[in-house]
Order: sequence, then structure tokens, then C-alpha cells
Amino acid sequence: MKNVLFPAAALLLAATSAQAHFQLVYTPDVNIERPGEVPFRLIFWHPMDNGHAMDMGAPEAFYMMFRGERTDLLDQLEPITFKGAENEAKAFAATATVRRNGDYVFVLEPAPYYEGSEDIYIQQLTKSYINKGGLPTGWQEPLGLATEIVPLNKPTNVLAGSTFSGVLLSEGAPVADAEIEIEYLSALPDLETNAAGEATVLKPMPGGAIVAMTDHDGRFTFGIPRAGFWGFAALGSGPDTEHEGKELSQDAVLWVRAYDFE
Amino acid sequence: MRLRNVSIAAGVVALASVAGPAVAHTPLCACYDMGDGIVLCEGGFSDGSSASGVAIRVLDEGGDVVIEGAMNENSEFEFEKPTGAYTVVFDAGEGHQIEIPADEIF
Repeated sequence: MKNVLFPAAALLLAATSAQAHFQLVYTPDVNIERPGEVPFRLIFWHPMDNGHAMDMGAPEAFYMMFRGERTDLLDQLEPITFKGAENEAKAFAATATVRRNGDYVFVLEPAPYYEGSEDIYIQQLTKSYINKGGLPTGWQEPLGLATEIVPLNKPTNVLAGSTFSGVLLSEGAPVADAEIEIEYLSALPDLETNAAGEATVLKPMPGGAIVAMTDHDGRFTFGIPRAGFWGFAALGSGPDTEHEGKELSQDAVLWVRAYDFE
Repeated sequence: MRLRNVSIAAGVVALASVAGPAVAHTPLCACYDMGDGIVLCEGGFSDGSSASGVAIRVLDEGGDVVIEGAMNENSEFEFEKPTGAYTVVFDAGEGHQIEIPADEIF
């Protein structure tokens, strides 16, 4: 009703929600002690407002990096239907086997997604981290993706109330003056039901998307106001700009986990 | 501000020099039963530094040392799994020891 009364606000909401696509590479526990199977859900979603979920195509790549070694996980993918608060969408489940102590980076290179409202394709190259046994083994290293956000704070152990910084790279070089969109994972996906849990963000931000800019060295910083999963997305920072004759936005997405200091 | 930082840094350095180089980080060690009669332990420190050279002891039920060695250049140590209950001790010096009983070996 409010949107009807304020058409400008409605327009703004429409415009911002169209920009807030976030590719999720989600596992609930990012700090593990025991070796075993780590479950993942790959979901293309509007996680901050528990909003519209998008159909994912077959990913181009999904793999795990551990101490510089790449383990392909593409053949682990199982198609699922993810139930968001608004709709259902094609998503994927996967499991990765983790044994040794250290940092594991999970990288998804999804199929470009056609966004009809903007008449463009979107491909969000996404990184998520887990750590086993508390041993740091290279979370701060770039992986050589076409575009990526390299964390400057340990992404598996961010303190709520502190800050998170990263460097945006495109083909290995820092990207200055780039816009980084920031979202909170409001409703945790339930691994049993493949449905969104209860939303913890109840109102949209009055000013639309949360944004930080990179400085001349490609760095940005954001204060993390609460515990949970936070996503950072640089839109169109990648070198590929066209897919099937249309504009392609090749984005870099990074997820971090923040905890309360208790 | 600047002065305060300097004095904090100096305090940390002083502490470190008293307690040895391992003071600023937590020792880490995990062992795995490889299923072929071999147990592999990997060590390290929470700041990412190597555990190469750190002493490893395997104790029998009575606490006697049955195997003794040190973490190799990859911060790993392998040994033949003893019969009966045993405990692995990762010994990086006073205050930096980890004891892993056999039932906590993965």
C-alpha cells in the first residue's frame, strides 16, 4: 500500500531489487573440527529481502581450492528446487569431502542468467570459505578468477561490530572506483527442506542497496553490524561483457561469516 | 595514539621473548587413522606458521613413550598405530602441548 502512495519509492524498490541478485554458495557451518562431508546449496536469490529466487542453469564450474590444489565438484551437483518466500527456483545441492586442516575455498562459475527486466545476462563468480581445525592456509590468496574479491579479513571469522575489507580484482588487477553491493542472508536455507527459513530482516532498507566503493587500490571496507552471513558483490567487474549477443554483467561475489563476540 | 601503540607493541615483544616464539599463536594438531595401520598427524599454529620440528610422542596406556619423533617439513608425522589405547602428544614447549587420545583420532 505504501508503494502505491509513493510511486517514486516503488520505482526505486523495483530498480534496487533488480540489482540485488546474489549468487549463494551456502553451507551452514563454516568452521568445522571433524573431517567429513560438507553440504552445499547453490541458490540464485535476493537474500536480503528473502525475495525472488531465479532459475539456475547448469554451472560452468564448481570446485574446491585447498592449499593451491583444485578439486572439481561439478559432478557432485544435484538439481534441487529451492523454495523461497515468493517462489520456487532451480538450484543445486552438492557435498564436498574435507579431511585435512586448513582453508577451503568453494568457487562457483554459474551459467549466465538472462535477466529479462534488464535485457542482460548476469554471471556471478562466487567464492565461499570454510576452515577446518583453525589452521590458516591461504584464505587471503587470490585464485586467479576472471574477477574476484580477495578478502583482507579472515572470511570465516569476522567479528560482528568490526569491519570487513576486501580488494576487487579483474584479471588480477585491482579495480578502482567500483561499486560493491552488500547484502545480508536474511533467511537461512534449510538443508532438509531446501526452503528459506524465517526471515530476520523484516523491513527493506529505506535507501535501497547498501553500497561501498573501492578506492584507488581497489579496496573497500564495510562495518559488519550483526552476526550471520554477509555477501559482497561487484557488478560488471569481469572482463567478459557479452553473451549470446547481449550485454553480460560478469560479477564477483564473496560470502563471509560474522559471529557475535560473547 | 602513536605512543600508546608503541608501548603495546613493546609489551607484546617482551612477553614473546619471555615465553618463547610460540606465545602469540595457538598450537593445532589433528590426527587421522588412515585405515592401513598408519596414523597421520598434522600440526601447525593458528597464525599459519609451520610446526616443522615440533616434538611428537605417542604414549601407551600407562603413559610410557612408545614412539618419539618430530613433525616433518610439511608439519606432518606418521606412525604405526599401536595396539590398545594410546595418546599422541604434540609438544611445542611449555603451554603449547596438545594431547590427543586415540578415541579423538578421526
